Amino acid sequence: MIDVGAKAPPFQLGDHLGRRFDLSAHHGKRHVLMLFYPLDFTPT
Amino acid sequence: MPALEARLSRLFAAHTFPVGISVDSQHSHAAWAAALGGISLPLLADFHPKGAVGKAYGTYLEAAGLDDRATVLVDAAGIVRYAESVTPGGKRDIEALVAACEALDASFDGDLPTMPSPPEPPTDMTLFVRDHCMFSRWALYARANLHLDGALPVRNVSVDAQARADLEALGGKAQAPALQIGDEVMYESQDIVARLTGACAPLL
Repeated sequence: MIDVGAKAPPFQLGDHLGRRFDLSAHHGKRHVLMLFYPLDFTPT
Repeated sequence: MPALEARLSRLFAAHTFPVGISVDSQHSHAAWAAALGGISLPLLADFHPKGAVGKAYGTYLEAAGLDDRATVLVDAAGIVRYAESVTPGGKRDIEALVAACEALDASFDGDLPTMPSPPEPPTDMTLFVRDHCMFSRWALYARANLHLDGALPVRNVSVDAQARADLEALGGKAQAPALQIGDEVMYESQDIVARLTGACAPLL
């Protein structure tokens, strides 16, 4: 697991509505809460 | 995810944008999110190359080929402020996580812009679909995930001859899926989903 205090690795990924999410686009504007989970159709 | 979706306004007030991430495809995400009653927050597909983002954050479980159930909070300066696993079979305390976001925001050194409110969906829209069509299903999943069930009527050209005739009159062809917004008719499912998403839940 990444360390608290580390710089967040930049990434871009597509989502379930066809949007393109770019983490770095949010820097300077807001925090980002990332919920990793094993598989769809499981509780999160 | 529904517990998080229900707390979106609190998260936005705390200048926090939530995302879900797994190795599933966007199609799996869309179907699952619709089955949950509609999820508009981004479900990101870390699908190809599989788990690349999970590997960068140390959440990818190589032997299982899946991500851990883990939460990472990145502040507006791009620094990781929270990183915890509840193990793949564990359960997250969403209320506690939202409270942690609020605490982080309250102690964050710097002024952040107010998060924009989501736009109102356009009125005068109709979605035309047909049976046994993956593109129609993709559009219907987007309708559910954008919480447009009340605002966007659906007409099925497979069973409704009048719908087929109306669509042909409006757009020049009876091909579905199709989205009508006022005088505008579009037929490509990717365009339809992008139009609906842009109107209702653009990425901020």
